[in-house]
Amino acid sequence: MFKLISSSLNYNFLGQKKIAIVISAFLIIVSLTSFMTKGLNWGIDFSSGYIVQLKFEKEVNISEIRSAFEENGVTDSVMQSFGSNNEIIIKLKEESNFNKESVNVFLVDTLSETHPFEILKLEFVGAQIGDELREKGEWAMLVALLSILVYIGFRFELLFGVGAIIALIHDVIITLGFFSLFQIEFDLSVLSAILAVIGYSLNDTIVVYDRIRENINIVKTDSYEYILNISINQTLTRTLITSLTTMFVLISLYTLGGSAVEYFALAMMIGILVGTYSSIFVASTSLYFLGANAEHRKDL
Amino acid sequence: MVVLVLVISIIYSLPNLYSSYPALEINKNDKIDIYQIIDIIDPNIKVENVIQENNKFIFKFDSSKKQLDAYNKVSFSNIKTNYTLTNYINLPDWLKSINAYPMFLGLDLKGGVHFLLQVDKDNIKTNLLREIEDDVKDILIEKKLRYNSFYKTEEKVIVNFDIDKPSDEIIKTINDAVPDIVISRIISDKDISFEIIPSEDLISRDIASSLAKNLTILRSRVDELGVAQPILQKQGKDRIIVQLPGLQDSTRAKGILGSTATLEFRLTKGTPEDWYASKISGTPVINSSILYKQRDESPILLSRKVIVGGADIKGANSGFDSSTNTPAVFVNLSDYGASRMLDTTSKNIGSRMAVIFVEKNKKEVINVAVIREAFSKSFQITGLDINEATDLAILLRSGALSAPMEIIEERTVGPSLGEANILAGKNSIYFGLFLVGLFMLIYYRLFGFIANIALIANIVIITAVLSIFQATLTLSGIAGIVLTVGMAVDANVLIFERIREEIMNGNSPNASIYAGYQKAFSTISDANITTLIAAIALLTIGTGAVKGFAITLVVGILSSMFTSIVGTRALVSVIYERKNNKGLSI
Repeated sequence: MFKLISSSLNYNFLGQKKIAIVISAFLIIVSLTSFMTKGLNWGIDFSSGYIVQLKFEKEVNISEIRSAFEENGVTDSVMQSFGSNNEIIIKLKEESNFNKESVNVFLVDTLSETHPFEILKLEFVGAQIGDELREKGEWAMLVALLSILVYIGFRFELLFGVGAIIALIHDVIITLGFFSLFQIEFDLSVLSAILAVIGYSLNDTIVVYDRIRENINIVKTDSYEYILNISINQTLTRTLITSLTTMFVLISLYTLGGSAVEYFALAMMIGILVGTYSSIFVASTSLYFLGANAEHRKDL
Repeated sequence: MVVLVLVISIIYSLPNLYSSYPALEINKNDKIDIYQIIDIIDPNIKVENVIQENNKFIFKFDSSKKQLDAYNKVSFSNIKTNYTLTNYINLPDWLKSINAYPMFLGLDLKGGVHFLLQVDKDNIKTNLLREIEDDVKDILIEKKLRYNSFYKTEEKVIVNFDIDKPSDEIIKTINDAVPDIVISRIISDKDISFEIIPSEDLISRDIASSLAKNLTILRSRVDELGVAQPILQKQGKDRIIVQLPGLQDSTRAKGILGSTATLEFRLTKGTPEDWYASKISGTPVINSSILYKQRDESPILLSRKVIVGGADIKGANSGFDSSTNTPAVFVNLSDYGASRMLDTTSKNIGSRMAVIFVEKNKKEVINVAVIREAFSKSFQITGLDINEATDLAILLRSGALSAPMEIIEERTVGPSLGEANILAGKNSIYFGLFLVGLFMLIYYRLFGFIANIALIANIVIITAVLSIFQATLTLSGIAGIVLTVGMAVDANVLIFERIREEIMNGNSPNASIYAGYQKAFSTISDANITTLIAAIALLTIGTGAVKGFAITLVVGILSSMFTSIVGTRALVSVIYERKNNKGLSI
């Protein structure tokens, strides 16, 4: 039988809890500092504005297009070529000095005469929409977290729920921190990814907790720490294999899925790396500290 | 049961395997024949194939670009029939008969235009305020309550009275006559002012009814655009979503959807000399006339009185003037409009009448003609180019929007990007599947093979469920499927690891299989139910891309639980049952 990890492995994960705390604390502090100083690079979905992706029939020079825009009074556009030399993305913030209608007219009537193109993608998001989406996204996260807490509290016990939520918030903060630190655009697809990470990280944590619950009933005599450790070891192979298979598809999405799902896949990859780490170290460590205060564990 | 579910799933996912062609459907009628249409479409745009079906001609093309070119030609050709942009799929009849159709592709995959329109709340308030102003003034005059001043600001109507007037009585009188308003009283030393605004309740009721009317009007406008499967729905209290798959030219769609354009007819005043004199002085030189601009920027004076306005126009068609062969709009008036028109024209033969194009705050004279004879109900208007004539006829037919709407969100995906998205999505699913499958096969051998079969079954089931419910597959939905692929093996990994443990503990193969499934069950269900909760939270709160992702995730979780717990169990039993197994290939 082919094995990733020897079945006799009994690594003392909780023994490393100090290191884990240091690593997690470091990552969280870096993430939070980055939020406060840099913030998130909100994409058009949340920040409102105008994006148009054009594919020209021939190769074009960006500065040529830019000066054509400037001649028409649009001075604060951001342009970048995309993939090849005949694809350009043009971004305008909503508060910029453009008028949506006049840009459209300019594109269709004027620019297309001198530089024939095909509109690959055009997005306009008004200010109120951006704000609403952000609010909705925050609500979605909150509701998801709360309903999960209730379910775990019901199925296990409240402390387990709290432990799972700690692990979850840990994962979300670090994933968001990554996006903030590297100023990668945060759009709707990244939000979906973060929400998927919530589901995934939970999945991992639950599997470990489930084993802990089972072991508490079997080995009543041993110490809490021993039970936690043995449970992590028993589920370790599964934790790693599932992360690995999910990673396989994410890598395939990231490399082949095209620009539209690129950020989604990236956010998920970060989230899964952090989630795997946290379900091994953070979830059980927080349970250890939470449970250390509780005297009786027989009710489980 | 496993077999039954699989067979049904395979059948219902089949339609997705048939390739579809961009096509243009044209309804048959006795006025048109196929050669005429081919002529219109132009020999340069190569038609792949023409199919006659029921009462339609279906023109197939090999690219969406050709399809759109042909569509534009037809839409500006004055052809007397209905036509629709579609995707033609040559499905066998037996699939159609059991309602098996392919998944509905989202705009990001198919290409198309998405708009979100919002009712202009300020406009509604202004109109309500105007009505309140009239009503309040009427009742005060009727009840002989003399006010010092009466005026309207942008926000409110303000009425001022002497201090000795009975203010309670005034409020009661106004409230009885004009419902749904809020009156606040401001008393100073010398006088009393009443500030009147429409109540929030009245405003929201008015928004709701305008939205309902606008939805109907927009629907008829969209139908005129000839787009297959357009989506129009209310969103929230004051918004309408419009999705037009397949369409690329958002400018025209936008012009037609958001337009409040209509026509007015007025008599002209004075002579061209007067018109130019007025232009120079900046004010009309003739009484009760207004200075307008013609299309060529030259000035013209028109009567203040509108003979017939947009509300009196009942029908309109675009076409060509039979004598001059220039584009024309044929207008039909309501009975009231017709009698007014007859009245005016019969009294003013030899005078000139102007047709004014009214769009929001812009008014433009498109045509001025001498009235040669009296006319009433039907007549034609020239002076527009062919595109304008076509669009104006659509707008006049559908009627004016009951409140202006503003486009607050717009997304266009070109068809070629859509095609690229589909391809990228497919490739990443195949490659991801391949990697996962390969890993499982090496790691778990025969059991890995079983898990792979379950994985494929899983994808078939997801496809079938999405097809049966005609759910919309978007790019984020594909991401959801890809993610499910990664996570679907999780349940099997949990089970297989348990079986391995049992074997290691020295249990017999069959007992290990039994115990493995048994013990893993609660873990699998707990883990999946929590993920399901997160996915459902996404589903209820999210919109657009988030929703698409959540739908496939929910379906994926359910189907992967089914395939791994029930499906692989059945396969394992078939393989290992009744044999006195020495070992397991795990």
